[in-house]
Amino acid sequence: MSRLFDHDGAPGSGYAQPSPLIEREDIEVTDTFKRKVMPNWPRISEPEMVRHYTWLSKRNFGIDTGFYPLGSCTMKHNPRVNEVIAQLPGIADIHPLQPDHQIQGLLYIYHEMQDMLAICAGMDAVTLQPVAGAQGEFTAIRCIQEYFRNKGELQRNKVIVPDSAHGTNPASAAMAGFEIIEIPSLEDGRIDLDALRSVVDENTAAMMITNPNTLGLFEIDIAEASEIVHEVGGQMYYDGANFNAILGRTSPGLMGFDAVHYNLHKTFSQPHGGGGPGSGPIGVKSHLAPFLPGPVAARRPLSGEDNPTPANDEFWYYWHQPEFSIGKVQQWHGNAGAVIRCWAYYRRYGKDLKLMSEHAVMNANYLRHRIQEEAKIAGLSDYIVDGAPAEVVKHEFTLSMGKLKEDKGVGAMDVAKGLLDMGYMAPTVYFPLVVPECMMIEPTETESKATLDEFAKKFIQVLALDPETLHEAPITTPVRRVDEVHAARNLWLRHDGVDR
Amino acid sequence: MTDHLPNLGRENEMLAAMGHSSMDDLFVELPDNVRCKEPLALPEAQSEEEILADARRLLGSNIDLGSTVNFLGSGLYRNFVPSSVFQLITRGEFLTSYTPYQPEVSQGMLQAMWEFQSLITELVGLPIANLSVYDGSTAAAEAITCAVRVHARKAEQKNTVYISELIPPDRLSVIQNYTQGSELIIKSMKHDENGHIPLEEWEKASGSCAVYVEQPNPLGIMDQSLFSAKEILGNHTAFIVGIQPVSLGVFEPPGNYGADIVVGEGQPLGSPVTYGGPIYGIFACTQPYLRQMPGRIVGRTIDVDGKEAYCLTLSTREQHIRRHRATSNLCTNETLIAMMGAMHMALLGPEGIETLGLRNLASRQLLQDGISKLSDVELPYGDSQHFNEFVIELPYPAQECLDYLEKFGIIGGLNLSRWYPEWDHRLLISTSDQTSKSDIKILLNHLSKWLTSKSGVVA
Repeated sequence: MSRLFDHDGAPGSGYAQPSPLIEREDIEVTDTFKRKVMPNWPRISEPEMVRHYTWLSKRNFGIDTGFYPLGSCTMKHNPRVNEVIAQLPGIADIHPLQPDHQIQGLLYIYHEMQDMLAICAGMDAVTLQPVAGAQGEFTAIRCIQEYFRNKGELQRNKVIVPDSAHGTNPASAAMAGFEIIEIPSLEDGRIDLDALRSVVDENTAAMMITNPNTLGLFEIDIAEASEIVHEVGGQMYYDGANFNAILGRTSPGLMGFDAVHYNLHKTFSQPHGGGGPGSGPIGVKSHLAPFLPGPVAARRPLSGEDNPTPANDEFWYYWHQPEFSIGKVQQWHGNAGAVIRCWAYYRRYGKDLKLMSEHAVMNANYLRHRIQEEAKIAGLSDYIVDGAPAEVVKHEFTLSMGKLKEDKGVGAMDVAKGLLDMGYMAPTVYFPLVVPECMMIEPTETESKATLDEFAKKFIQVLALDPETLHEAPITTPVRRVDEVHAARNLWLRHDGVDR
Repeated sequence: MTDHLPNLGRENEMLAAMGHSSMDDLFVELPDNVRCKEPLALPEAQSEEEILADARRLLGSNIDLGSTVNFLGSGLYRNFVPSSVFQLITRGEFLTSYTPYQPEVSQGMLQAMWEFQSLITELVGLPIANLSVYDGSTAAAEAITCAVRVHARKAEQKNTVYISELIPPDRLSVIQNYTQGSELIIKSMKHDENGHIPLEEWEKASGSCAVYVEQPNPLGIMDQSLFSAKEILGNHTAFIVGIQPVSLGVFEPPGNYGADIVVGEGQPLGSPVTYGGPIYGIFACTQPYLRQMPGRIVGRTIDVDGKEAYCLTLSTREQHIRRHRATSNLCTNETLIAMMGAMHMALLGPEGIETLGLRNLASRQLLQDGISKLSDVELPYGDSQHFNEFVIELPYPAQECLDYLEKFGIIGGLNLSRWYPEWDHRLLISTSDQTSKSDIKILLNHLSKWLTSKSGVVA
């Protein structure tokens, strides 16, 4: 065990800094403000610190470690050139309060990204300011709210979400002050148009939905759903969490959506970093564009008075404030470092982004097929139950371990832990809530056929294990099953020198 | 080029295995009216080397702060981050992992975040910290909504919060967006001529749901009135203090003078400026706010064998469980950047954070002393204690001064009319540990030349 707070080196054993520019005794600090007791931090030298974090890293599982089929999270390979680019001083060492003429390259890339995202989603305008998917949802819902206020339709206080929606959807709309109307999905997980019809009225502000839905299925009635919402004057909001499935094949714009958020950390490969940073730009149709948080990157033809840089093709780039902007959702211009990485990622594909989505969908279908095949060979087909019946899935699919639980007392979490012992990250479990004992599997386009074949075999091997073994799993991991109840009952949230 | 698709060229084989003949079969259910009719109107794919060349050209067109003599800060500061931090966070096990939903294979990140929480609580003087929110502005906004949830019932001034009038408009705008859903009334607190909040302003705010002020304030000023604020505000008003974390190497942490919630922009510890993102927001609080706090928090626990282990805890506050009744919609956060902060804090240690604070103080003091000797330049808050930035008032428009300095490769600070329109003769000048004696000399030299040239014109 390596613990940061166990390191108690000599004072000043860490990073050696230059001295202050004036003698310490000449630095003026009013006595009342002076810190009396220094923080009880560890003292650790660089060699020890490097070893500590390397030790920690060995106890952590990333895409680089192995297959990471965490449904809904699109855990695809993160190209390393993107990290190299993000460290260049032209992004790492620039300040958001610098004037436009000092950041023409940054503005060029922002403008290109706005354009690219608008094209991919069939939207008219984009802002890159939101820093995560959930913040993108909130931002778009705020834009819709201001749009209605501007039109004088103040009564629109309801947002509709299907019961299979990501938890962030209702949470974001509630944060903006809306009442949430949850509608049940059909047996096969798809949207229930009758249920939708029964709840829309002149108080409907928006419907939030993802397509493909959280079961990995394409909502074939989506255009009709849009019509139903539009008929009562509501807006359609597209949760872009599952955007990786559809680029170049269809778009939220074609489906009738008015606003969309993108998870750049999913579709465009910003590394997930153990929980973040992400980036959650939003795109909107032209009627919502004046309400976007500002500023957004804009351009005009170069004039004689400009001092062009190597970033200026025929245009001068500048920040532009939308007319009825809702203001800011992050103090600066969003996660610029993430935007730059995703720009590098998109450039790798260009118009072939369609190919990326096709491979994501192909891999998901292939894996689903291979799991079914392996189950048949092992005589376990009864336990491979689709979360929802479907001919083809999109970028992910769900399986229900309900029957396994019933027959053998082995639930989705047990299977998940068994997979950890096989050297895999587990799929998403217990989501969506509409599927009993759900496992949600998303392989992404960056996994090879060999990896998928192997995973299918191992998955069935896990199902074949006796229940006792699975209840004991995992046994090969740095720690075994972690007691989360103990954690919640005996809150120990920091190093405080007290041993519990 | 599309060189990240391992199955490129094997499509037919894989499709055939499934009984399909073409990729179109996998999209067969898409109704005709939603299908793309045209290919994406995007350029050709590029190779890694072409992208790198374009990135170097485009980003090379930006003026990076390191190539200038820089005095721009105003919320983001370029302190030196030791090289080992950058090396370690690009380890794939950290970089390419996600939220630790499976704690058995995520102990590394979980323990690192628990240690981050520990470092932050020690720094700010409060018992609880989460593992970061997006940035300083959203931290402030989330703190206010958290406080309102706690105090809504008992507060005498219903649904009302007070915020210092000096808050930069962009930060205020974030707070307004986050709070408008609950129809909060935001009232403003005034400052006296020293940049301090007078007693009557605190008395006015007493009985509201929350007060949000910053220490040092956005003009770099330390305010002693905060030391007695909690007593005036009382138990039903949350006292929220926004901090610059490096200042706590030398100044008393707000947890020691009654703050209920401490938030702040974590960036000066561990992260480059990066055009304002990704950075990380600090969020720490006392016990009564714990169950209403936003974001993720790690607890230390045991595994089935009784071995030390870590996991996410108190998840029942969060959106994936509570949905529309969650304390926040926060999901993806800034974990990796917070980890950079933890690494930087670890390498500094208690003596190092003090030295870092002193270096910031010293460079500001040296520059401020120099400027005070220039005739025609006023230091409107010169008598107050500052941290690493201060306001100067010029006899001519601040923008002209900045334009002049830029010709000599100097970024002279922030034109304060950007925040407060009537302050068009004022600059906010910031220093950091990267400010050198020669930087200060260069600025003083050119500032004085500009003043001479201007007074010459006037004469």
